[in-house]
Amino acid sequence: MLGAATAQRAPATPAPGRRLAYRRPGAAAQTPPSYWDVIEPLLSRVRKPAQYVGGEHNQVASPWEAAETRWLLCYPDTYEVGQPNQGLQILYEILNERSHVLAERAYAPWTDLEELQRDAGIPTFSLEHHRPLWAFDIFAVTLPHELGHTNLLNLLDLGRVPIRSAERRVDDPIVLVGGHAAYNPEPLAPFIDAAVMGDGEEVTHEVDDVLRGWKRDHLGVEGAPDDGARRDLLRRLAGVQGVYVPAFYEPRYHDDGRLRQTAATEPGVPAMVPKRTVQDLEEWAYPRKQIVPMTETVHERFSVEIFRGCTRGCRFCQAGMITRPVRERRPETIQKLVEEGVTDTGFNEVGLLSLSSADHSAIGSVARDLADTYEGTTTSLSLPSTRVDAFNVTLSNELSRNGRRTGLTFAPEAGSERMRAVINKMVSEEDLLRTAETAFSEGWRHIKLYFMVGLPTETDEDVLAIAELGIKALRVARKHGKANKVTISVGGFIPKPHTPFQWCAQDPPDEIKRKLSLIRHAIKDHGGLKLRTNDPEEGVIEGLLARGDRRVAAVVERAWQLGARFDGWHEMPTLETWRQALRETGVDLDFFSYRERDEKEALPWDHLDSGLEKAWLWEDWEDARSDKELDDCRWSPCYDCGVCPGLSIEHDTGYTGGFQLPVLPQGLGGGSQDLPTAPERHASGG
Amino acid sequence: MQRYRIRWTKEGRTRYISARDLTSVWERGLRRADLPIAYSEGFTPHPKVSFPDALPVGFASTGEYAELTFVAPLAPDRDLARLSDTLPAGMDITTYLEVPDGAPKLARMLRATLWELVWPPVDVTELTELLNRRSDELVASERAEVIRRRPDGDRTIDVRPALLAIAASTRPTAGGDVCTVLRAVLRNDGPTVRPTDLHAALSRDDIAEPTLYRRVAQGEHVADGLHEALSAAVVPLVPDVDAEAA
Repeated sequence: MLGAATAQRAPATPAPGRRLAYRRPGAAAQTPPSYWDVIEPLLSRVRKPAQYVGGEHNQVASPWEAAETRWLLCYPDTYEVGQPNQGLQILYEILNERSHVLAERAYAPWTDLEELQRDAGIPTFSLEHHRPLWAFDIFAVTLPHELGHTNLLNLLDLGRVPIRSAERRVDDPIVLVGGHAAYNPEPLAPFIDAAVMGDGEEVTHEVDDVLRGWKRDHLGVEGAPDDGARRDLLRRLAGVQGVYVPAFYEPRYHDDGRLRQTAATEPGVPAMVPKRTVQDLEEWAYPRKQIVPMTETVHERFSVEIFRGCTRGCRFCQAGMITRPVRERRPETIQKLVEEGVTDTGFNEVGLLSLSSADHSAIGSVARDLADTYEGTTTSLSLPSTRVDAFNVTLSNELSRNGRRTGLTFAPEAGSERMRAVINKMVSEEDLLRTAETAFSEGWRHIKLYFMVGLPTETDEDVLAIAELGIKALRVARKHGKANKVTISVGGFIPKPHTPFQWCAQDPPDEIKRKLSLIRHAIKDHGGLKLRTNDPEEGVIEGLLARGDRRVAAVVERAWQLGARFDGWHEMPTLETWRQALRETGVDLDFFSYRERDEKEALPWDHLDSGLEKAWLWEDWEDARSDKELDDCRWSPCYDCGVCPGLSIEHDTGYTGGFQLPVLPQGLGGGSQDLPTAPERHASGG
Repeated sequence: MQRYRIRWTKEGRTRYISARDLTSVWERGLRRADLPIAYSEGFTPHPKVSFPDALPVGFASTGEYAELTFVAPLAPDRDLARLSDTLPAGMDITTYLEVPDGAPKLARMLRATLWELVWPPVDVTELTELLNRRSDELVASERAEVIRRRPDGDRTIDVRPALLAIAASTRPTAGGDVCTVLRAVLRNDGPTVRPTDLHAALSRDDIAEPTLYRRVAQGEHVADGLHEALSAAVVPLVPDVDAEAA
């Protein structure tokens, strides 16, 4: 065979303990190899190769020797899902703005490339320079949900970094996680060095300062630190408010297997690790220079977070609970970010993001001003909001000036009035039908309604009420046009930590299946009413990892060894793998997922302080079980959930200058438990 | 309305952008450059950028073309240079031509393609000789059937009718070595023949797959190469090494 390329050999990976030369600050460092030349020949053999090449508009590519600290930021899923993530883009920008920092990005390779990487000895790499994970100081991984845990282990292993924290040497990267699933990092405790709770902006800079100081002390030109220096770094990190180092805490159990407490074992570390909260969003108007992908991603738009936090108090919603209090961005800042961002990136869509975007106190004028700015242009506006009220329809009308009125989405979340009182979703049937009436009469052709089954105290009557509500909405739809449609999307509820439902039992998949078939049967004679569901089995892994303790780590590791990856993908049915891992490790789903806890039981995240008082959460759980609702504290008196006094901050709302919302405190719903897969659901989240 | 035809490159990392994703890459580049591109009518307007055909993912090209329609006149030297700057590195506009009304369709100006197959710098003399010998045989033959394997079933392709000219030569690499380059002019009309089919027709399991396929230019076949559609320059079948280095 003539002209055959001599097999390209990947640059050798130095063994742990021999990587110090690459880690030194500034010009003292040896630059690690780029793997581009060995990756490129593989790209014609994999799906969607453009996701691995980098080089997008607004990428920052700094020289290795010019940096004192070097971060590899990672979303542990494919580029297509992870790239739009706002949180990571904020950190990328605020880190690279520091002149002594280099921050690059990494995503999980799909299984086809992973296999080729393993054959060729190519480690987990960054997009900017295709540099290896093992050479960086910090591997900072965002965990918006629990279904990236096996990918995290896989990226470490592929990146030639020991998967267990205890086995890492002084010259291995620090593995740091953040994001919503970091509020219970116990199932990952042996694998991570530290978790950061809460808003990342300030704490990321503080962690970087600590790292920089430590490197100066230990990794200068001459320094030959031993592994004790790594422990010194962990100790320094544990001193940063909001940073939790699992190795310095130890879970203790009762004889019957229940958790007694998680106790600090290292002198000087806090008994309770508080979350971080950025009080003034105006000081952090990021991300401004958003990456413009060259290949398809799940959200291709310029996104602006218009406020952070939510106080609607939906009891199932972890995001709403852990991101309190509400902090709004000023309308003029929103307008400026959008205009500059659209010009800079060339995106033709703008997304106004938050947990319930119609709730911004000046949303009416924000929407009107932006609609005015882009009227008659090809720039479209989107406001992911599922609030059930006529105002939401008005807003959608405003934002769709340039386009067609197709579908609107509302999230009543539960079918019966009683069930909605239990979850604290204050929407009446009358509200919903009136909203549907408004939507269809104003020319919208299709509405989607989001619901959950498997909620605490749910009866079959409550489940059937979902079908009935759908049928009534369809009747309204048909009054305004024979082709009008209603879709009901029903997902299985998964209880999450730091919510009033953290004590409740999750429904096993067979029970969810039974409930879904009740709905399916009840609507079968109503063509035009569509039902969308996911496979109930998909909630099993997420539920286990959400509320698991440190003993669940063994299952994560075993499932990964058995081949589990991309657990949130429909294409990757990994549940059987997980069931085998559960059998082998003796971890019991009944114990972790399908069991109701009592007030006295210690929870694996009790030492992680989301700001919410456990006593208040318990009280709210009791209220839920007696169908008692709780108002939104933005507009009604404080009920002492604990967040604001604990942080000496408060809600930051009420920017005027535009019109205020006409009627707020009645009949509104916010938040959403979206139906798409977990990766899709969390893709745009901060 | 003002129409321009351009020739552009798809080199480096942009080789991996799929034909499907190219539309949005161009749209965003045009918006960043703030050029008055025309949009189609309807609820989901698309910028009026049309490409005569798609390049397979991974292939390089200095011979991509497009027709752009603007709603206002441009200062093309300045404006198209700015567009070129805003496009991702590897995508550059190299030539443009204003299109008068009633001009023949772009596709009619692109009747042939000069393709290039590049091998790594090994076995250079033997490989170049073998390729030239096989090329001569191919030109002398009446039919040259190859099997194109596809997931949806194999197809038999006759390469010969599309082949207008072919020659192998050598060229220095950036790393200071010399490599083998095969250039061929293939007809664009008639059944599609790809440069990968050409490789299949030349190899009897003794010539490795080239490391790079490149669409060099498109236009009309002339005696010693290809008459490029927009610039009227002739791209030679045997690359003039000195001229290209300059």
